[in-house]
Amino acid sequence: MSSMGRATARPPLQKLEALKAPLFRLLLEQLDGAGRRHILDLGAASTPMLSLLGRSRCRVEIADLASDGGIGRLNAEMPVEELASMAESLLPAHGGRDDALDLVFCWDLPNYLKPGPLSALMRAIAARARTGALVHALIVYSERTMPERPGRFVPTEEQMLVNRNGSSAEISAPRYSPDDLRRIMGSFAIDRAMLLANGMQEFLFRLQ
Amino acid sequence: MFERGKKDDGMDETPDFRPAAPQRSQAPTNPKTGGQNGECAVIGRSIQINGDVRGDEDLRIEGDISGTVQLKNSNLTIGKEGKVRADVYARSITVYGTTEGDLYATERINVHINAQVRGNITAPKVGIEEGARFKGSIEMDQDAVDKALGKASMQGGPGHHSDKAADSKVAPAKVVKEAQSLNRPSGAG
Repeated sequence: MSSMGRATARPPLQKLEALKAPLFRLLLEQLDGAGRRHILDLGAASTPMLSLLGRSRCRVEIADLASDGGIGRLNAEMPVEELASMAESLLPAHGGRDDALDLVFCWDLPNYLKPGPLSALMRAIAARARTGALVHALIVYSERTMPERPGRFVPTEEQMLVNRNGSSAEISAPRYSPDDLRRIMGSFAIDRAMLLANGMQEFLFRLQ
Repeated sequence: MFERGKKDDGMDETPDFRPAAPQRSQAPTNPKTGGQNGECAVIGRSIQINGDVRGDEDLRIEGDISGTVQLKNSNLTIGKEGKVRADVYARSITVYGTTEGDLYATERINVHINAQVRGNITAPKVGIEEGARFKGSIEMDQDAVDKALGKASMQGGPGHHSDKAADSKVAPAKVVKEAQSLNRPSGAG
């Protein structure tokens, strides 16, 4: 994302290494045996993820925000009202359905959004979610840089995560702190956080 | 919100992404409803159909379809050249081309690399290959799938027979032997 910093050449990270993400695993365990769930995935659809989610009774909305320049459009300068409309338009059509969201997978997309656009997106999501809904996110924490494009995280059979993003160029990372996130995420409060082996912090936010 | 539940070790198999048959002889076969000799009907790339396509045998679409496609008990493949602007109902649906409309399958839907799907997907098992483009809703809850397919049936989906004839524009050249099977009573007419 040019808006988040200049890309610099850097040796490719070991992105295909499987990453233990305990909170992701916890979510999947809790989905097993649960009732019907409504899930929003801000990333691209993948067969391994759908296979995992398909074990439970669920409907999955795929937003694929990184496609078609969605992140760049959301990061563009615009009035607050337009930003809210833009955020809404990037989510799958809701159609006035009454089944509110229970769970949202953000992956590492929050790192690629400026604070204002990220807040607008979370407000749009909150409007579709039920109280207590959970948001899962991976936030760059210890590294100063990150791949220039968002990851494409795919779960393994062991419920670890593999990033299939082929991007090797890096840009500076916003390194949102918990205090930043409390401010930005609005009515989504930090529920749990864990530092991962790759220097990212895994967060679960809960809608108050 | 979530409670710990019993872990289910019976994980679904990953959908099979082996290419589904560019040739007739390799087409998916429904032993009960597939064409004779296990072949499937093909709508060739020069064929355009506006209206309802109905049938009771496996079908591959390489042409351009607008309307609805209803293959209640059969398998549908939308080939690389296929463009379908329609709600589609079938036993299984495999997409290599482009679709605009909702896809309903009683068994499985697979979306392959470079395919573009605009619309919602309803099926108990869904596979979306890396490189496919999809934005929308995926309904995998079996109860909701049954309900959606039942509702679709009431509204003209599988099992419902409309008197509306298909308004098809068939290119004169190469009227495609493959399309012959569509002239049977069960096909688009």
